Amino acid sequence: MHDETFDIVVVGGGHNGSTIAAYLAKSGLSVAVCEARPECGGGQENTEPRPGFRIDPHATYLYGGAAPGFDQLELWKYGMRMVYYPSMSGVVTLDGIAANLGSRWRPDIGEEAARRYFPEHAGGMGGLGDALSEPAMRELLRALFWTPPHPRQHEVDEADLPWWKVFRKHVPDIWTDRLLDMSYCDFLEEFVPWEPARVVAAMGAWYCGAHPNWDGMLLPSMGGTLLFTYSGGSPRGGMHTYAHAIIRCAIAHGARILTNSPVEEIVVRNGRAVGVRLSAEASYPEKTIWARKAVISGADVKQTFLRLVGPQHTDAGFAQRIADVSLKGGSLFVMSVICRELPKYHGRDDAFPEDVYPSCVVGPADSMEYVYTQTRDAYSHKKAPEHLTPEHLTMMICSHDQYDPTRTVEGYHVLSPIYLECPPPQYDVDGPEAYNRRKKEIVDAALALIERMAPNMNSDNIVDVFVNTPYDSEFRNAGMSGGNWYGARQSADQWFGTRPIPELARYRTPIDGLYMCSQSMHPGGLCLMAVPYNLMHILIEDGVVEPASWWYPSDWYVPEAGRQIVGMS
Amino acid sequence: MVRTGYGMEPTEHILDEFPEHSVFDVAIVGGGPNGLIAAAYLARAGLRTIVVERRHEIGGGLATEETLFPGYYTNPHAIYHMMTDYMPLFRDFDFSVHGLAFVKPNAQTAAVFSDKTSVMLCNQVEDTKDSIAKFSQRDANNFGKVMRQWRRLVDDVIAPGTYVPPMSPLDMIEAFERTEAGREVLRLTEMSPIEIVNELVEDDRVRTLLLYAACMWGLNPHESGLGFLVPLYIDRAANKAQCYGGSHKLAGSLSREILRNGGVVLDNAEVTSFIVENGRVTGLEVFDGRVIEAKAVLSSLPPPITFGKLLPSESVPRELQRVSKEWEWDDWSFFTVAVATNEAPHYETDDPWVNDAFMVVTGFDSTEQLLRHWDGVLAGRLDLDCVGGHATVETRHDPTLVRVPGHHVSFIQAHVPWAIEGGWKARQDELTDVLLSRWGRSARNVSPANIVLSTAESPLDIETRLPNMVRGSIKHGAYNALQMGVFRPHDSCVAGRTPLEGLYLCGASSYPGGLVIGGPGYIAANSVAEDLGVQKWWTPPDYVRRYRETYLS
Repeated sequence: MHDETFDIVVVGGGHNGSTIAAYLAKSGLSVAVCEARPECGGGQENTEPRPGFRIDPHATYLYGGAAPGFDQLELWKYGMRMVYYPSMSGVVTLDGIAANLGSRWRPDIGEEAARRYFPEHAGGMGGLGDALSEPAMRELLRALFWTPPHPRQHEVDEADLPWWKVFRKHVPDIWTDRLLDMSYCDFLEEFVPWEPARVVAAMGAWYCGAHPNWDGMLLPSMGGTLLFTYSGGSPRGGMHTYAHAIIRCAIAHGARILTNSPVEEIVVRNGRAVGVRLSAEASYPEKTIWARKAVISGADVKQTFLRLVGPQHTDAGFAQRIADVSLKGGSLFVMSVICRELPKYHGRDDAFPEDVYPSCVVGPADSMEYVYTQTRDAYSHKKAPEHLTPEHLTMMICSHDQYDPTRTVEGYHVLSPIYLECPPPQYDVDGPEAYNRRKKEIVDAALALIERMAPNMNSDNIVDVFVNTPYDSEFRNAGMSGGNWYGARQSADQWFGTRPIPELARYRTPIDGLYMCSQSMHPGGLCLMAVPYNLMHILIEDGVVEPASWWYPSDWYVPEAGRQIVGMS
Repeated sequence: MVRTGYGMEPTEHILDEFPEHSVFDVAIVGGGPNGLIAAAYLARAGLRTIVVERRHEIGGGLATEETLFPGYYTNPHAIYHMMTDYMPLFRDFDFSVHGLAFVKPNAQTAAVFSDKTSVMLCNQVEDTKDSIAKFSQRDANNFGKVMRQWRRLVDDVIAPGTYVPPMSPLDMIEAFERTEAGREVLRLTEMSPIEIVNELVEDDRVRTLLLYAACMWGLNPHESGLGFLVPLYIDRAANKAQCYGGSHKLAGSLSREILRNGGVVLDNAEVTSFIVENGRVTGLEVFDGRVIEAKAVLSSLPPPITFGKLLPSESVPRELQRVSKEWEWDDWSFFTVAVATNEAPHYETDDPWVNDAFMVVTGFDSTEQLLRHWDGVLAGRLDLDCVGGHATVETRHDPTLVRVPGHHVSFIQAHVPWAIEGGWKARQDELTDVLLSRWGRSARNVSPANIVLSTAESPLDIETRLPNMVRGSIKHGAYNALQMGVFRPHDSCVAGRTPLEGLYLCGASSYPGGLVIGGPGYIAANSVAEDLGVQKWWTPPDYVRRYRETYLS
């Protein structure tokens, strides 16, 4: 009576699930997406908890400006529009600094800050910024993020991994093989002369994924900052508008997007994934959806194998490796504040004029010690600190409506998100609900610290506060292990050929016909349309889909040995 | 290049955006239910269609949003879908392929009283009669007989009339005189809701329930001229359906149909003006400077906005300028308190079915008290001592609204004036406490211990979220005899057409009116298809055909 068989069934309509659905539907396959929540998009969402005020519970900036998906999927047809910001970031310290770092569209702003605060070293980051202008930046980002991991049998020296090759090509003078072992913090220490700028860069990197203190992850960690800088803004109306463009592309090409339809099981017969079983509460009338060609999981790797596939189809060793995929690197305690005036740091009108007000202010950024303190709180001690003093509370305070007034009611502003580092609930020493029990105390401490940095952020100015802790996010966001969008952070053992574990790195799984397409896979979280792009290479290799005329692979793609790839020279 | 005041021009090209200038066959302003319905019909007819919506989400009143943050969704506007059995939309489209389903429980609308008695309208009339018989066997019997007659009025006259253009008053009188049903409709039209309800039943508590059901959507209980809506609303009060997965799913289903038929949905795109060339509306302009040209432009926005703001005044006929200046907004609006709870609100009454009821009216023990409340609201006052309202447990029939398994979302909603003494910001918390405590008298577990999160929305919030609901007007304009029927909004704008070539009206401020009934959008789609000379792929349902044959020939 109702369709129950499709070429492809996608579990989860988050960013990655919707994007692969769009790619495959546009390639001519019949696709069904089964999404648990009332709305697709996953972390690529905006919500309006109070009429007229839009907050960002997770995704907030466009990082994916270099994504092939924009032209391959022709997202412009489905309403994709941008707002580009004169100032993407700024930094504030307790000892009185409020520096505007501008954006790639207004480099003069950052140059002025450099002249003021570190005049002898103006040019920053060892001249990297100059060297990596277009098109070099786009090439580097595509090498880092929009390239599927090499096949296991394809051995390369670390220095010849795609991003290092591109890096050497464009910045040969900076290249040394010392860079291979460096952490981003090492790099910042050596090349960035001003401590608050190091803090901004380090915290910025952390918010995107790879922790800046992890060895061997210099470029991936820096890559987060580069993505942010390169794209230079946010979609009109917020990240969810960009999600709408992807979802509408999928629908326009015939994909069936089923919301309120949670998947309870990936059905496996004779070692092959043949479909999914929806929960009894699912809104779609057929509760078993069959897949002729493949099931693609947009859920994280732990949910996929420990819940949806089940132990009867995998061996104990595999299950243990999945369970051990680490959520180290902390999670995000997210606040959103509605206020009448934007923070006026240090009470100075001239600190950040409204027409160039930084979208993302990191503070207090007095010292890298603050970064390490929070790291220790979240990863070493794995709990909220007993005393919520400033070095425990460096925040990223974002606002968009100074450039996109559609997000707020006239006369008000929305500070969203405001991020704080915290442990993933699973690792909290005091239990998964421990951080939630201290929600009010933490929010009060954070707001008091913001008021200390910006005296106008008092209780008269603040109208409302909304909070989603990682524990809350694990409930509201189906598919967010650890309550955040990167799940397993990109460390050297969870990046490219090892993400999330080596045998899954190329998106194939031990189950025939089951592929992975979520933040657990390379290159991780962020709404880059990258995981789906990378997966497409594999699906084409396996003959699941024929490449259409608009498809082009990554320049650094190495096919599986012995595979004949249609369309490649 | 478009970018008026929003961010800045990038110095390098990053990605392609929606074009500055585009050409469509049909452009529809406002992505609420009527705009989406018109778009769905026209896109499937092969017309290149675009819906232009101000908000970041389409749907207008078809909203399902996380108003209890984090983790709990509510339907802050449309939740009682009363015309699912009559809307041609559901006969012409199969939305079950998108997982759309409606739940229509038998226990429909109950009223609970301080002494723990209750009376309930059920979908099955005999169950309603049983409930009424607790108070009066005579009323129960009479109700049953009258309901059979009213079912026919709804089926044969009032419901089908919703989906065809209106007749002038004289034509309507002449047409309805032809049949017994029509004559009864005319007779009831000349009565006030109070008169009709008093004629129907005698027991004051039963009258309280029926008067609430008849007037809750904005009928003045004392005024005659719209009495035909009373049998409709009382019949519909026993036929409410909840959209499983949230009301927004209906909007999502409509947009899926629009998209799969080549249409475009553009959100975050407030329209700032219509483009007029040689007296013809040829397109529209979005706030960011984008221009959309179209052969037919449909506006779902009310007359003060369509004619008073979006059109250059020299192109608006004088009569329509007058209409837009004199347009009357809804007589009352809503104040709503929504709560996320550990357990569902539970009523202790003489009938366990009350806890299955889709809507429970609470806080009124008599028609005198109800009228005292409404009379005050109509006069712009709110007396906290006699306020009451209606409550619904949204998760009773839709567990998917909450992300925490086992928890519930519910609301209590009361009629209030647009403005309250002291202002909403100052008085909101006080009114919230009063409503929760009043609700708590009949449902004792509506208490701080059980409430996880709560939020309140005033008419000001309604207007903020949906600016076309000016002064919290959920119907985009009052239901009074001067702006209903052929005068909604004006007799120069019948069947969605306007005196301006190229411009159509398709919103709640057009015939037949507001709420999610799908009438204005459907009627406008018919006119646009005719005017653009495209084949209608749909035919009118049987009951509409019969109505046309009986009354319009």
